[in-house]
Amino acid sequence: MFFLGTPAHEFLPAPLWLLTGLHVLTLALHLLAMNFLVGGLIVALTARLGDRWQNPATRRLLKLFPTLMAATVSFGVAPLLFAQLVYGEQLYSASIVSGWFWFAVPFVLVAAYYLLYGGAFAGRGSPRIGVFAWTALIILLLVSVVYSGVFALAERPDLQVSLYAGNQSGLVFNPDLGGWLPRWLHMILGALTVGGFFFGLLGRDDERAWRAGQAVFSWGTAAAALTGVFYLMSIGDLMKPFMRSPGISLLTVGALAGIVSVFFYRRRRLVWSGALLLVGMLGMVGARHSLRLVALDGVFDPEALPVTPQWGPFAVFAICLLIAVAVMAWMLCIFFAAPAKGEPAN
Amino acid sequence: MNHPFWDVGLSYGFLMALVAVVHVYLAHFAIGGGLYLVLAEWFARRSGDEERLGFVRRLSRFFILTTVVMGALTGVGIWFVIGLLNPAATEVLIRNFVWAWAIEWTFFLVEILAAILYWYGWDRLSARRHLQLGWIYFVFAWLSLVVINGIVTFMLTPGAWSETGAFLDGFLNPTYWPSLVFRTGVCVTLAGLFSLLVAAWAGAVVPARQFRFNAIWGLVGLAIALPSLFWYRSVVSGGADADVMARLTIPAKALEVLSWAAVALAVVLVVFGLLQPRLYRRTVAVVVLALGLVWFGSFEWWRESIRKPWAVPGYMYGNGLLAGDVDEFRESGLLAQIRFRSGDDGADLFRMSCRHCHTVDGYNPVAPAFAGTDEAFVQASMRGLHEMRGPMPIFAGSDEEAKILGSWIWQRIDQRPFEEVHPLKGPELGRQVYEVRCGRCHVVGGHNDKSSTLEGADEEFIGELIDAELTPEMPVFTGSEVEREALIRHLISIGKGE
Repeated sequence: MFFLGTPAHEFLPAPLWLLTGLHVLTLALHLLAMNFLVGGLIVALTARLGDRWQNPATRRLLKLFPTLMAATVSFGVAPLLFAQLVYGEQLYSASIVSGWFWFAVPFVLVAAYYLLYGGAFAGRGSPRIGVFAWTALIILLLVSVVYSGVFALAERPDLQVSLYAGNQSGLVFNPDLGGWLPRWLHMILGALTVGGFFFGLLGRDDERAWRAGQAVFSWGTAAAALTGVFYLMSIGDLMKPFMRSPGISLLTVGALAGIVSVFFYRRRRLVWSGALLLVGMLGMVGARHSLRLVALDGVFDPEALPVTPQWGPFAVFAICLLIAVAVMAWMLCIFFAAPAKGEPAN
Repeated sequence: MNHPFWDVGLSYGFLMALVAVVHVYLAHFAIGGGLYLVLAEWFARRSGDEERLGFVRRLSRFFILTTVVMGALTGVGIWFVIGLLNPAATEVLIRNFVWAWAIEWTFFLVEILAAILYWYGWDRLSARRHLQLGWIYFVFAWLSLVVINGIVTFMLTPGAWSETGAFLDGFLNPTYWPSLVFRTGVCVTLAGLFSLLVAAWAGAVVPARQFRFNAIWGLVGLAIALPSLFWYRSVVSGGADADVMARLTIPAKALEVLSWAAVALAVVLVVFGLLQPRLYRRTVAVVVLALGLVWFGSFEWWRESIRKPWAVPGYMYGNGLLAGDVDEFRESGLLAQIRFRSGDDGADLFRMSCRHCHTVDGYNPVAPAFAGTDEAFVQASMRGLHEMRGPMPIFAGSDEEAKILGSWIWQRIDQRPFEEVHPLKGPELGRQVYEVRCGRCHVVGGHNDKSSTLEGADEEFIGELIDAELTPEMPVFTGSEVEREALIRHLISIGKGE
């Protein structure tokens, strides 16, 4: 039962620009949801709000956390799919070197998910809420460390080979702290920033919550920018090629959009602020993508992969995506158009 | 061979099953349960049955907590695991079917949002709107199956894709339709089993008619699934599974377990679900759920077993080796293809060639199979792996590498003399020598039976036979004199038909 020579699988089923665009777009959505979740948890757990879990903003956030987790997971599927499609060789190898850490991710996420549901379903003022939320946050932070470590390792094929030569059990975690720690710090402070944005948004009718959200959003942006500079400094020899890549323009656009977003936020122009935050996120993701290409330069060139487009299946995907967006918008419309519990029905 | 091998101390089969079994069980419930919820709600509202409506609401909470959390994340888990265990095969699937996965993702988004809004919408939405969300959930959940089914079945029967490489040829492969019908039946069955579990947990507040209604779902699902399984089997028989069924006992055993579990499920559902619903207590519910897992799990076991030794039949072996690369690698050497090396060539060859299915002395071990034999025999055996009765990939290394691998394995086996490892005498010893040195490839009355060549053979003929290099895959006899005598006597007895 041999069919030698046919068919091949070393190809891209669409032009690289299309796959990259989809990757960047879906990754930005994933990060937005993830930042809302992780940043929201940090803000809800640490902001000075008096009776923390009685505050309307934290109450709303608490109910929202499981849905944010669902959104994070759902939006996370597509970018990982497109990343594996193009950079599978690097990603699989890095994840295998750290096999046990990678393997544990879905399991611990299940635990975090149930903890968030536990918090959402717990009675008002229950002391368990804090325990659930803190534990979930710690788990999510650990997962973020694994992601940063593995994805940073994916850009170091030489390090993968040497680490594997020393240990094949999958118990090796990326020892190049300089390669992933600044990246992780920047990511977490970015999450905190977005968490502040949404916290203030949810609590805009409550002065205390609004002030807390605004402070976290403003100072978080500054802190994320500082760690961003620290991250940029940590890339060493890659700095020069990065400065010559489109990444630097995207980074500039992302940073400016983030700063202007804070400006609008402080004036309660929330739609503009949110739109700019999304632009900032897209810029950062694009810059991050450029940095990956720079890091892999000379080792792996995605442009070299042959392209055999599958336009028919892609067209079905595009139609399904449009239908899905329309159906989701319609569902959200009818849901929010209906009176919430306790409000009079029409 | 561009990826490292995760040399975890556990069996790959176990790791895969750990995630996959839980996921497929919950994922099928996520589809059938969606249909159940919306139909049961519709019935309840139409008949003004508040008890039933209360039950549906209770079930929907359980449904969200199991399917949206556990079901969704174990699905992501499968993806993580296959990338760790067989990145090469995952690449084949992703490159060929990325748009199928992307399409499924769009359905998944709708599915998750619809499930959440359905749950939160109980007190917020009108009955009509709530039911609409329920229907949207079910339709998109089932469409996810419609898509994923194409990829799952491709891994068993790639069909015309093997020649054309075309998306649709691989997607709408020979087992696509029977599998879709079968899995739809499974979804309906699991809706019945899980709703019975929730009913049993709620106890007396759930009326007996609800148990009967739930049991009917289980039985209807079985009625859809079982005939389609015959259809499924008729499509693969003579193809993917014919050779494997002749060489392995696992597929037949899996089908036997599946059949008995189906009968047991049907009996319990009729007796406890339909006739004596008040006796359908928590213990019964848990046992029935476990039976369902055995039933569906044995189907997956069968499907996986008849795929051996392939990841994609005819294209890629289970160890990630492309069939089309074998000749080249045997010429140029396998080690040269392995990018991630550990410094131990034998270990690297074992990992890349064998370790996907075997350990040295743990799960499915190789050490006992060679215990008491000599180094030359183990080395020579590496050339004939694909001839052995348990379907295995061909060894894709050079002759020198076969020796390296053989020596590496030999150093880890019980090296005492054969007759010490197997303390037998006379004909029993001969039978054992045959089993170890010949029976892996030649089963009397079975796989690759060569006993007819021994008819009327005498000691001299057999002595020459076992010393001769008949084929490159067949080791010459290199054992001790004691083994030699015992084996010759046994072969003579085979020739005499004893």
